[in-house]
Amino acid sequence: MKKQTEKQQKKREPKKLSRRQFLGAVAATTAIAGLAGCDMGENTGGSGWLPKQYRSAANWPIQLKGRVPVDPENPSIVRRDDACILCGQCIEVCQNVQNIHGYYELPVKNEFMCVNCGQCALWCPTASIYERSHIDRVREAILNPDMTVIVQTAPATRVSIGEEFGLDMGTWMEGQQVAALRRLGFDVVLDTNFAADLTIMEEGTELVKRVTSGSAVLPQFTSCCPGWVKFLEFFYPELIPNLSTAKSPMQMFGSMLKTYYAKKQNIDPKKIYSVAVMPCISKKMEASRPEFKTVAEYYNDDSMKDIDAVLSVREFAIMLKEAGIDLPSLPEEDYDSIMGEASGAGLIFGSTGGVMEAALRSAYYLMTGTNLPEDKLDIKAVRGLQGIKEATVNVPGVGDVKVAVCAGLSNARALCEMVKAGKVDYHFIEVMACPGGCISGGGQPRTTVPPSDDMRQKRLESIYAKDAIYKLRMSHQNPEILQAYKEFLGEPGSHLAEDLLHTYYISRAEDVTPKKFN
Amino acid sequence: MTEANTNRGVLFDVKQCIGCGSCTVACKLWNDLGYEKPDVAGNAHGFDVELTDKNWTIVTYNREKDANGKDVLRFLKNQCMHCKEPACISVCFAHALYIDENGAVVCDPAKCAGCRYCMIACPYSVPKYEWDKVFPSIQKCQMCDSKIAAGEATSCSAVCPTGALTFGDRDELLALAKKKIAADPSYVNHVYGETEGGGTRWLYISDVPFEKLGLPINVPNTPINDYLHGYLKYTPVVFLGGGALFAALSIYTKRRAKVAGHGEGDE
Repeated sequence: MKKQTEKQQKKREPKKLSRRQFLGAVAATTAIAGLAGCDMGENTGGSGWLPKQYRSAANWPIQLKGRVPVDPENPSIVRRDDACILCGQCIEVCQNVQNIHGYYELPVKNEFMCVNCGQCALWCPTASIYERSHIDRVREAILNPDMTVIVQTAPATRVSIGEEFGLDMGTWMEGQQVAALRRLGFDVVLDTNFAADLTIMEEGTELVKRVTSGSAVLPQFTSCCPGWVKFLEFFYPELIPNLSTAKSPMQMFGSMLKTYYAKKQNIDPKKIYSVAVMPCISKKMEASRPEFKTVAEYYNDDSMKDIDAVLSVREFAIMLKEAGIDLPSLPEEDYDSIMGEASGAGLIFGSTGGVMEAALRSAYYLMTGTNLPEDKLDIKAVRGLQGIKEATVNVPGVGDVKVAVCAGLSNARALCEMVKAGKVDYHFIEVMACPGGCISGGGQPRTTVPPSDDMRQKRLESIYAKDAIYKLRMSHQNPEILQAYKEFLGEPGSHLAEDLLHTYYISRAEDVTPKKFN
Repeated sequence: MTEANTNRGVLFDVKQCIGCGSCTVACKLWNDLGYEKPDVAGNAHGFDVELTDKNWTIVTYNREKDANGKDVLRFLKNQCMHCKEPACISVCFAHALYIDENGAVVCDPAKCAGCRYCMIACPYSVPKYEWDKVFPSIQKCQMCDSKIAAGEATSCSAVCPTGALTFGDRDELLALAKKKIAADPSYVNHVYGETEGGGTRWLYISDVPFEKLGLPINVPNTPINDYLHGYLKYTPVVFLGGGALFAALSIYTKRRAKVAGHGEGDE
């Protein structure tokens, strides 16, 4: 017992350190620290990770390689390299679905080839590619008490925004969306569907002119989709005369907002900040196109823009979540007036075939003076996810009007080639750059990655289900449209309508050498 | 596995590059290099970068005039040129830099003393220093030597979607480059890297002048190391001759002091 306590006591006594021991310890610590500092055992030739396809023996070809180029000044798309894993999905969609990458000769000319459709942003598994954010400028405008911030919502946003809040694919959220925008601080909430009806009036009138005059260039192509328009300017500039001169609904809305709306509501157009919530990020490019300075020319003020900011559905969802607004729990509210009323025809613009169906409903009226019979309003042949669809509508007194609808630029390319070769005799062709149309646009929620047809189908069905129960199903029945023509524009195709609602296109043939395929 | 080839190289065809930057990402992934912080817009890396200890390869873009005087967009990939007779190796007293069995110029950070002589010696300003480390060393493109050793291509050339980068035997690549130039008069009639600095393993062909892309054209065709021989050969002469001279002077002054000392002592 005694021995043990002595031992314990000895243990408690502080150890005495000799000078020699101390210096030895210091030397050892220094040496270890020094050696640790050297990168011992570091591999000189890299030992990280690369996707498996890049680990094959040198010089054997592999299918899926690399990624798409992104212009650092691209108005629609940005990419952060630190999230990129070189999986090859963006190049897959760009080449095989949209026919951009791989469809031009190298060397490049003076452009990063891109039509800004944003499908790559939907396919990218890590979200390394995404939209150029306009959130900050919108917030700034909302916080500015001098500005009246007016927002328009595209047809296809109301069937997808719910998915950002965990709702089923294609859930109808129109009323909640309006309520949410008001709670975010937008002063006025209006509907792009109104402008879609306006587009039908202008584009339909143009079509009727082309069909009945006999001399004009046919077929007429739709011009609502900025990705498609840029695609045509790049690869088929010789078909520019076929493109409808009507602006897209968003741009028409922008022109009307700061002219007609401002006058009617007695708001200083310089104090209007015009925001668009879009399923599309090519719209950001479209808004920045130099042709769209209608308002600036109307008021002779270069500082004014037709559209000041474009938010994708994803950005809209980010703003809602940051503001703590739970969309699904909001009450349903109605759009403001004027320019908030729309027909079912305007609504179906959001899906592939929708513009065609809407145009046919009104063109029939414009050509015959009578409405299509109620049971023939659904033109089912142009609906659905099939790449290229065609239909023939017999118009009494005019004959058969042959139309085609396509979505996805690979299908557009096939149709353009057929038109160029004179193999088809369509009167009217609707083209949407994104497969499925705007319901699966590049600015839509990434509910399934890459976007699935199941998701597209559910969003389509949601849109058509609402159209079926709309009271007004034809654009020319929309009372606000009739009012706008009566009080402001005159008639479709009038001088003022030409100035405000029509545009011109530029050949981009200088910027690209299309690849020839046989 | 392919048998060891000591004459590896990569050909970069400027006309085929679309500026996608896949090569820079592949380099980051394979070498585990990490990224600098993204900017306000969320852009990380992209084109607005320089070669650093973490960026072993970068792609820059230039708007230049082509042979017809038209504005064109051209890209340049930058990385270590892997000289056949590298100046960096000749100045490296720690033998951290060496040519490995594939012909790649590699730096072993375990041996690097951090003297940074190679940074001054390199005519392309390639080696970069880890300024933010406590025990820094030199970092640069290693030509994926571990990947090459496994019979694979370098990361950058493996991922290139347009074939702008071709990995292979340097002599074959040189022949390919010359064949391309012969077949297409729009190319500048020179393979950059064939003779520069005595020849580099990275070869470039382009339709706009190389200096417009940012490649240095003042690099002599003789290996930098050959210039050293011009004066380093005098080292023995200087050492021995100097030694003899100072020895003679020493003897002379000592002798003079001794003689003078005797004289003083006499008085």
